[in-house]
Amino acid sequence: MYRDLQEEDALLIRPIEQTGRGFYVSVAVLLAIIMAAGLLFVRQVYFGLGVTGMNEPVSWGFYIVNFVFFIGISHAGTLISAILRLSKAEWRRPITRMAEVITAIVLAIGGLHPIIDLGRPDRLLNIFTSGRLQSPLLWDVTSITAYFTASTIYLYVPMIPDIAILRDRDTRPHWLYKFLAWGWQGTEKQHKVLERAISILMVMVIPIAISVHTVISYIFSMTLQPGWHSTIFGPYFVVGAIFSGIAALILVMLAFRKIFHLEGYLKEVHFLYLGRLLLIMSLLWFYFTFSEYLTGFFGHEPYEMKVFFYKFAGPYAVFFWGMILCNFVVPVVFLSFKGLRNITGVLVASTTVVIGMWLERLIIVVPSLSNPRLSVPGGLYIPTVTEWGLFIGAVAVFVLGFLLFSKFFPIISIWEIREGRETSVTEVSERVKKYLPEASTT
Amino acid sequence: MARKASKKRINDVIFVAQIISLSMLWMFVISLSLWIFHLLFLSIKLNDVPGASVGISLVAIPVFWTLVGVLTYVFVGLRRNRISSNHGKS
Repeated sequence: MYRDLQEEDALLIRPIEQTGRGFYVSVAVLLAIIMAAGLLFVRQVYFGLGVTGMNEPVSWGFYIVNFVFFIGISHAGTLISAILRLSKAEWRRPITRMAEVITAIVLAIGGLHPIIDLGRPDRLLNIFTSGRLQSPLLWDVTSITAYFTASTIYLYVPMIPDIAILRDRDTRPHWLYKFLAWGWQGTEKQHKVLERAISILMVMVIPIAISVHTVISYIFSMTLQPGWHSTIFGPYFVVGAIFSGIAALILVMLAFRKIFHLEGYLKEVHFLYLGRLLLIMSLLWFYFTFSEYLTGFFGHEPYEMKVFFYKFAGPYAVFFWGMILCNFVVPVVFLSFKGLRNITGVLVASTTVVIGMWLERLIIVVPSLSNPRLSVPGGLYIPTVTEWGLFIGAVAVFVLGFLLFSKFFPIISIWEIREGRETSVTEVSERVKKYLPEASTT
Repeated sequence: MARKASKKRINDVIFVAQIISLSMLWMFVISLSLWIFHLLFLSIKLNDVPGASVGISLVAIPVFWTLVGVLTYVFVGLRRNRISSNHGKS
């Protein structure tokens, strides 16, 4: 049925059917990095958290920073994809698959970080026997599990017709595609089933995704720590997550465009549209940041001010102002001015946003712990090689996950592209006519 | 003839594997629900803010059941709406 793929769509299958040496070299290098990170983790379990830079009172460091950061990046995928699908944005078609894959991979990575943060990971089992469901930490476990389940299903279900294409082309491993295609033959009724399921899922994943980052913010805001106890932390975190997610999505798209020569699919217009979204999110993020710090400053509560100045002019000032530069100044400059608004400009803005959002997570987590309300000496947090190594390992897992996915499945949805070519033009023109008043006949 | 029989056997094995994978997903959701119930009863027993536990259980359990329900609907729907069950495709 699908054997006669159009030549341009065969480009999407080529990386699956023809594997170059570069793939194996990349996988080997990434596996070596991941194994090295694994050894560092084993060493940490053996010697305890003393091998990290965490201390009293700074009991959360890189691991929790990376946990919040990676879960934030996960908003790139399912949430953005669901919003674009729901709003029937036709330019979404080559983007959604990549976005959904990001979610599935980074959620798995992010979800592991609290376990890495445990000095005794075996004690994780205690949550099964005597966890406290009223604790925000357990809300996190529940919401992240729900989001991961929903995202994986939301990635898989729209992929079924593409898996059937691979099955019908006898692509290896044939049994895998046969297993995953679930008997898809592209009949009208099957299409209806699939569309109905996608509609239900896209409506479901939006509140789940928002709940995930809101609940993550509750880990901080439900405490009375200075700098954390804030009512706007929920939406602030969600905005930051979508912001960093869009930036990560743009970087992934640019990488695949370059490696797989997908210029015909991922056109400049896609990057400019996403760039526009990034600009809006940048302004929104700045508004939330401004509100958050202004209310703290206006209250002038002594402990709050200690944290405030720790960030603005103290040891973390370089990170704070670096964050403002990366998340606001650079994106606004590169995405607002016509001369800079091109693929290179979007690349620069996205790169700085990813760095800036990581810095934001760092300056949320550490300064509040360094300056507690209790009269104990403040602490300076300096991450060790173990923490840096595990961070690099996590990034390697992300890249490896993407490489392996692109080896087995099309990175761009073939059937959605085809559907776009065949039916969207008529459908969109009909839709536009519906929005407009009918032409007067008199 | 032998090739046809072998193909049918492979299709049968794949079908059984599909059923097992779906059953495992159901088991995952049922286990998760039981775990949440266990924590809920524990909070009631210890009188440890049971209201919050009831709240989160009411939200979480239906979400998981709906998700697995959608996936089951897709599986059953796709199999039922094939052109012919002997089409040789699984």
